Amino acid sequence: MHEMSIVEALMEQITKMAQEQNWEAVTRVRLRVGVMRQIVPDILEFCFNVASKGTIMEGAILEMEEVPLRVKCEGCGHIWNDKEFLGLCPECGSIDVNVLGGMELELTNLEVEVKHAKAREH
Amino acid sequence: MPKLVNIKKSVMAADEEHASFIRNIMREKGILMINMIGSPGSGKTTVLEKLLPALDLRCAVIEGDVATSKDAERIAATGTPVVQINTQGGCHLEAHLVRKALQDIPIDDIDVLFVENVGNLVCPAEFDLGESFKMAISSVPEGDDKPLKYPSLFHKARAVLLTKVDLLPFIKFDKSTFWNDVKKLNPKASKFELAALEDKGVDELVNSIKDWLNEVRGN
Repeated sequence: MHEMSIVEALMEQITKMAQEQNWEAVTRVRLRVGVMRQIVPDILEFCFNVASKGTIMEGAILEMEEVPLRVKCEGCGHIWNDKEFLGLCPECGSIDVNVLGGMELELTNLEVEVKHAKAREH
Repeated sequence: MPKLVNIKKSVMAADEEHASFIRNIMREKGILMINMIGSPGSGKTTVLEKLLPALDLRCAVIEGDVATSKDAERIAATGTPVVQINTQGGCHLEAHLVRKALQDIPIDDIDVLFVENVGNLVCPAEFDLGESFKMAISSVPEGDDKPLKYPSLFHKARAVLLTKVDLLPFIKFDKSTFWNDVKKLNPKASKFELAALEDKGVDELVNSIKDWLNEVRGN
């Protein structure tokens, strides 16, 4: 189960940005997750909910966009989406194929609340 | 009002930096670094015990285990420099752990660095350690269905070792199924069959390691 390691890395990155940019809370976290990363979304979400307790990310909604496996044949140029990687072009039978998409693990964007300097409002 | 902040950065960016750092060191020093991944009991340490004395190259080993230094002791008995990493429950090695362990490896005086990952077919495949390539190790008693059940590892591995082939007469294992599935996932993978305790298949691996070392050194 490597989801907890991923959550730790994610939270570390967000915490650092929050300190630098003066965020009070993070309310939404959007990720792009490639199908080839062997990540179970429910486990990732569970880990995030547990680990974020007591931090500025507590209660934030974790949204995961699944990125399909996309493969290109270097022989004939055919590009296709697949459920699993089989290193064979369905068009020409070449084994010279490369994965274009499906390996992503990207923090796309965040929704945050920025701290206000209260004293200045009066 | 919530504010939208665009990031578009890898979640593992911090660890990927450690992996790049390691990869640069290996390139600079001309070291072949192999990340060995397989189940607990697949024979990773036994392969190393046979390989290290047979290789007339300067080697070092980083051992990744949840607990104990049992594997490191077995490697040390071959006279090879070894560093043990205990992950304390972690199911895989990460680049920052390997970078720290490198401080105790004589990197100016080695040709090949083996990293024996924590026994696990899933998670170790997902973390780049800065290695030259991944090597998958699968043993006959685990069954011939492992490549398709753990496609990510077999897809990424440059070399696949099938170990304990001396047990084939006693176990239901179809070798052609195993290798055909490896070929489907990874047509370019180098394939090896070993019965390390009987010294079978070790020479072939030794020769390939020499070729791979020449390759990373651009010879």
